[in-house]
Amino acid sequence: MPRTGFFIKLAWRNMLRNKRRSAIAASAIGIGLAALIFTDAFIAGMKNNMIHTATASFLGEGQIHARGFRTTQAPELTIRELAQVTKKLKDERRIGHFALRTVASGMATSPAEARPVMIYGVDPENERYLSQVDDTIKEGDFFTGEDLRELVIGAKLAKDLQAGLGSWIVLTCSTAGTGEISQELFRISGIYEFGIPEMDGGMAFIRLGMGQRMLGAGTEVHEIALKFVDSRDAGRKGLTLWQDLSAAGNEALPWTELLPQLKGVFDMTSAFLAVTGLILFTIVTFGIVNTLFMSFYERMFEFGVLRAVGTRPSAMRKLVLFEAGALAVLSLGLGTILGLALTAVAARTGIDYRGIEFAGATVRDLIYPQLSGRQFLIYPAAVFIFTLVVALYPARAAGKLNVAEALRRSL
Amino acid sequence: MEPIIRAEQVQKKYREDGNVVDALQGIDLSVRAGEFSAIVGPSGSGKTTFLNVISGLDTLDGGRVWLGGKLISAMTGSELSDFRRDNIGFIFQAYNLIPVLTVEENIEYIMLLQGVPREERRRRVEDMLGEVGLSGMQDRLPTRLSGGQQQRVAIARAMVSRPQLILADEPTANLDSRTGADLVDMMAVLNRKTGMTFIFSTHDRMIMERAHRVITLKDGRVEGDESKGP
Repeated sequence: MPRTGFFIKLAWRNMLRNKRRSAIAASAIGIGLAALIFTDAFIAGMKNNMIHTATASFLGEGQIHARGFRTTQAPELTIRELAQVTKKLKDERRIGHFALRTVASGMATSPAEARPVMIYGVDPENERYLSQVDDTIKEGDFFTGEDLRELVIGAKLAKDLQAGLGSWIVLTCSTAGTGEISQELFRISGIYEFGIPEMDGGMAFIRLGMGQRMLGAGTEVHEIALKFVDSRDAGRKGLTLWQDLSAAGNEALPWTELLPQLKGVFDMTSAFLAVTGLILFTIVTFGIVNTLFMSFYERMFEFGVLRAVGTRPSAMRKLVLFEAGALAVLSLGLGTILGLALTAVAARTGIDYRGIEFAGATVRDLIYPQLSGRQFLIYPAAVFIFTLVVALYPARAAGKLNVAEALRRSL
Repeated sequence: MEPIIRAEQVQKKYREDGNVVDALQGIDLSVRAGEFSAIVGPSGSGKTTFLNVISGLDTLDGGRVWLGGKLISAMTGSELSDFRRDNIGFIFQAYNLIPVLTVEENIEYIMLLQGVPREERRRRVEDMLGEVGLSGMQDRLPTRLSGGQQQRVAIARAMVSRPQLILADEPTANLDSRTGADLVDMMAVLNRKTGMTFIFSTHDRMIMERAHRVITLKDGRVEGDESKGP
C-alpha cells in the first residue's frame, strides 16, 4: 500500500509537471465531457419539447374512445356511458381538464376546390385548455361569436381551397348508423397555422353541437382528450386510471400509445446521442493517448532509470495508469463544471430552434435543456473508466520498455 | 575471494541501419567483492554495453553472467527487476534524479520498493545524506541543487539500499574537475567503509588513477587488465 500511495503521489506530480500540456489535455477531455452532458440535456429538452408539441397542439396527454374507433373511424362508435365517464373524469384528481369531441372523415368544398378533411366538433371553452389551435390563429378568431356556422381551418387548407376569412365552405360527412350523406354550410371565422402540414392542411373545426348534428349523434361524442395536472402522470402506463376509464367498451390510452411514431423519433435521437458520444470519445481517446505518449517519450530516460533501479514492469504500468487517472480527475473537474455551467445557462435562457422542422413537426417553443443527476454520474464515470482503458496502451508500452534502449545516452 | 561478477564469453550484437555490430565479442571477466574498478576504452569500445549486460539491463547474445553467485543471464522480467533492486546500485552520468521528488523521496525510492518500513527509511536516508555531505537538504527538489549535489544524491540513492555492486557510468563527465575529484574521493571512502564493489565506466583519468583495477576494452574485447591494489 505505501508503494501505491507513493505512485499516486508521483503520478499527480508528473501530471502537474508540464502544466500547460496537462491543462490543454484536461481541457480537451473536459470539453468533450461537457459536450456530452450538454448534448444529453439538450436531447432530453428536445424530447420534452416534441412531446409537448405533439400533446399540447391538439392530441392531449391521453384520449378516450369507444373500442375500435381508432382503427375504423366508424361514426357510430361513440364513447359508451358518456355521463359516467365524464363523472369519473371530473372526480379524478390527476385530470386537470378534458374536452369532448366528435370526429368524422369528410370533405371540405369551396366554390373552387374540394379537399378531404377530418372534421372535429369541439367545445371551444374546454378545447382552449387541451389544444393550441386558439393560440395559433393567424386570421380571425377561435369561435368567439354565437354563430353556429363558424368554421376554423388551417392556413394550408384555406390556401388549397382558395378560400379566406369569411369564405363559405360546405362540409360533407356520413351520418352515424345510416351512413347517409350529411352536408352543412359554414363560414370561415378563423385560420390557424401550426407549422405541422397534417394539421394545417387536413383538419376542420366546428362547434361540438354542429358536429353532433351533422353526424346525427345526438349528445354522443367520439373522443375525449385529457390533460393531466402533472404531465408526467400521462406517460405512466401503469396508472389504474387507464383501466378504470377503459371500462364498458371504451379504450383510454396515454399519448405514448397514441403516438408510437414518437418512439421512433426518440430512438433516432438516442442514436444521435450515441454517435455524438462515439465521436467525442474518439477525440478524447486521441487526446489521452497523445498526452500520455508525449509524456512517456519525453521522460523515456526517467522511465528507464525507474526500471533500472528495480521498478517492476507491473509497477511501471500502474504508474502510467495513475497518471491517466490523475489526468481524468482533472478533466472530470473541468468537464463537469463547464457542462453544468453551459447547460444551466441554456436551461434558463432556452435555445431558439423555433420554425425548424424536425421529424415532420415544426419546433414551436424554445428548447430548454434538461439537467439531471444521471448526466453528472454516468458520463464522468464513463470518461474516467474510458481514460483508464485507453491508458492501457501507453501503460503496456511503459511495462515493455527496453531499459538499455531508454538509457542509451548513459548507463 | 569469491568473485562477485563472473562473465563468461559474453557476446552482444546490435543492428544498426541493417548492419550487425559486434558490441561485445566474447568477454571473460571476473570482479571480486569490494573492488574499486574502472572500465576504460574509446567510445564504442563496449564499456556501457558491458555494464548493461552484467546488470541485466540488456540481454546477451551469447555467454553467461553470474552476479553474487546467481546466473542473471537466465533471469527474466520481474525476477531481474527484483534482483537489480536488491543487489545493484546505479549512478548515471546525468544524475537522473526524478525531478518531481524531493531529495529524500529520491533516495528512499528503492527502499520503498523493497518494503522497508517508513522509520527505517527515514533513518537510513538521514545517515546517507550525512555520508554524502548533504545533511538538511532532504526536502529540496533536485532542480534546486547544483550538479555536484545532484550527483551526491544519486550516489546516496545507489548506496542506501546496501547493494553488493555499484555501477557508475561516466559519473564525473558532467562535473567540473574539482567537484568530480571530490566525488570520486568520497566514493573511494565509501568503498573502503562499506566494502561495496564499485565499477566505473569512464574516460576520466582521475578515476583511472584512483581505481584499484583498470580494465581496458577495445572493439568489444578486453585489451588490458591492470590491478594496482587498494
